[in-house]
Amino acid sequence: MELTIAGVSKRYRGGVWALRDFSLRLRPGVLGLLGPNGAGKTTLMSILATITRATQGEVLWNDTALARDPDAIRSVLGYLPQDFGVYPNLNALEFLEYLAAVKGLDSATSRRRIEELLSLVNLSDVRKRPLGGYSGGMKQRIGIAQALLNDPQILIVDEPTAGLDPEERVRFRNLLSELSGERVIILSTHIVSDVEATATDIALISGGRLVAHATPEELLRQVEGKVWEDVVPSSALQAVKQRYLISGTARRADGVHIRILSATAPNGAQPLIPTLEDAYLYCLNTHRAGGAA
Amino acid sequence: MRVLYHLVRADFLERVRRYSFLVTLAAATYLGYCCETGKLVIRLDEYRGVYNSAWLGCLMALVSTTFLTLIGFYFVKNALERDQETRVGQILATTPMTKSFYTTAKTISNFVVLASMIGVMALAALLMQWLKAEDPHVDLWALLSPFLLFALPAMAFTAALAVLFETLPILRGGAGNVLYFFVWTALLAVPISSMDKGGRPTDATYFTDLTGVVSVMSNMQADLRSIDPNYKNGAALTIGDTATSKKFLWKGLRLSPAAYLSRATCLLMALGVALVAALFFHRFDPAREWLVKRARVEILDPVNGEAALSALPVQTAQLTPLVRAASGSSLPCLVLAELKLMLKGQRWWWYAVAGGLFTASIAAPLNDVRDGVAIAVLIWPVLVWSQMGVREARFNTAPLIFSCERSLQRQLPAVWIAGVALAVVTNGGVAIRLLIAADRPGFLAWVACSLFVPSLALALGIWSGTSKAFEAVYTVGWYVGPGHQLPGLDFLGASPESARPQFFLFLTAALVVAAYLGRRAKLANA
Repeated sequence: MELTIAGVSKRYRGGVWALRDFSLRLRPGVLGLLGPNGAGKTTLMSILATITRATQGEVLWNDTALARDPDAIRSVLGYLPQDFGVYPNLNALEFLEYLAAVKGLDSATSRRRIEELLSLVNLSDVRKRPLGGYSGGMKQRIGIAQALLNDPQILIVDEPTAGLDPEERVRFRNLLSELSGERVIILSTHIVSDVEATATDIALISGGRLVAHATPEELLRQVEGKVWEDVVPSSALQAVKQRYLISGTARRADGVHIRILSATAPNGAQPLIPTLEDAYLYCLNTHRAGGAA
Repeated sequence: MRVLYHLVRADFLERVRRYSFLVTLAAATYLGYCCETGKLVIRLDEYRGVYNSAWLGCLMALVSTTFLTLIGFYFVKNALERDQETRVGQILATTPMTKSFYTTAKTISNFVVLASMIGVMALAALLMQWLKAEDPHVDLWALLSPFLLFALPAMAFTAALAVLFETLPILRGGAGNVLYFFVWTALLAVPISSMDKGGRPTDATYFTDLTGVVSVMSNMQADLRSIDPNYKNGAALTIGDTATSKKFLWKGLRLSPAAYLSRATCLLMALGVALVAALFFHRFDPAREWLVKRARVEILDPVNGEAALSALPVQTAQLTPLVRAASGSSLPCLVLAELKLMLKGQRWWWYAVAGGLFTASIAAPLNDVRDGVAIAVLIWPVLVWSQMGVREARFNTAPLIFSCERSLQRQLPAVWIAGVALAVVTNGGVAIRLLIAADRPGFLAWVACSLFVPSLALALGIWSGTSKAFEAVYTVGWYVGPGHQLPGLDFLGASPESARPQFFLFLTAALVVAAYLGRRAKLANA
């Protein structure tokens, strides 16, 4: 079970390149795809989900080229887009029954599966309520359920926890971890803590290019000894911001506590244990500085 | 005024940069071309006017008002819908803008778009005079005044009606699209009914003559009567059969004060309709929306979310591995699912009327069924068919459906079969009646009709991306074809003389191929 992305580029009308020569090889596990807005995450997801075509390069699922045989991946694909809709007159049960039919599931199998999924996403009680009356979070849970209908080997989820309440976020994170054993899961998000909780691998993407592909531990090692805390008065904050890369600030009674990313220790600063968010910002900043140079 | 200018400007730019504007502009240009090639003429029995500035200005202005009041309405009837979908409306609703200001601004915006099409037609008139070269002298006032006096006020009224239809929940959707066709037909017919016994216009004629057809033609007729006393007073804007043996020199419009006043009244009526629309405009209040269109999600603040997460108990979430039967035999399931989706949301009275029509089809005499009940049966499911091929884009479910295995080979045929099944069931009483009467040609026409209508809906839905195209085209075709038993357009076979089942079977095949190619083009990896 292997998904290979080989030199994929995507150019939109008007000559804008959303992806440039992007290569990655994925095996079972959860890949956290992190990047700023407009980095190319959703474009990559759309290509992998066969919604759009790569301008250059190819995607292979177990050595079968997606461009040649898209159904090879579609038959094992679960996809939760970032922006999707539902049919407002259908209830949850009917909507999932419909999508199960579209995915080619027989009635008996889909009925059992839908019951289980509705329970999993905590919508059993409202299964007969028209989707038009659902909240954003409830619709997002329907989206999660539909992505799992066909027991996918590849699960692509774009901002899956958007709109979910904290409890549902925990449930979804656990579910992803549970499913990751025998599946390729791609989790695209800008919420670093979601990746921290579930990802076995992380891909950082910026400006349509792959910045880094590593395990969370490897990324964290890159910023070891480079995260510091300093306390400064509010009036000095602007000057510090201009000098250092800041990953967080908090106002306290004794001044502003600043989380600084720097290879050398600022005067009087104390070392801190790095987080994935520190590593993410550090890698992106290094990449941008390299690009600018 | 500055706010109004920017509101209209933004709306205008957003529209003219859309592909559909080019299509509508192409339609307007085609009308101009039809006039140039002599396929569209004003015919007064065997006469037509010499192609001078006055005649051509009136010809093109009348063609514009007659056709753009129909096509243009469907094109601009999305001003509020677009603000709703793009969520710009919710931003506007939070500004001090009044409801009447908004509906007036949208009317002006609609008008500007329609006026740009009128501008194309005016240019075409000028070009046509040069190409025809029957009168080299260009009289700009004679050429342009029909556009200013008739076409522009008619567009203003159409623009306001489009806004009114959008603000009324019952007319906002497909029902409004179908109904407008009949409103348009009535607008053309009313001034004729208000003429005097000699066929001459009265003051009332001018005030009811929105398009100006009767006002202009009566002017032409009066002039021709003074030239040829044997002229029998015939006058028509003719398509196709346009051969005329005689020409006369028409010097231009001479309108009465009542006629001028009626055009000003038309503009005032447009303003009035825009203000009435404000009464029904709900200012994008989601609580007053009939339909929730898209699932939009909100992103929780990750920092606050994290704090809450740490306090939650860890729950396990597991999923049983799926054991499923071999796929391939699931098309009937999918057809059933599509059929359910099509009919979901229909109220009991929809089924009651469909059932009543079904029963009437069986019980009524054969002739009454063919040219009466069967025609009514065909219009009833129009709003269900019009969703074919559109639903995925309208509700933004395309990414979910198009990423499924063999979507093109399974889901598309399933939609088509479901549409045909709906046609067969709703129109089934007619088939039974034809079979009882052993009317084989009639039954063949019924088969062709049952296949043709859903195919047309699917192809138009996929290619246009909106249900409006089918609702407008089908209603016009239904009225002209089966309604008037016009050979070549009578897809029902309302009479044995006008039935062309083989032609419609061929057209069905072409439409199915068009639908397939359209959907294929939308799928990146078909």
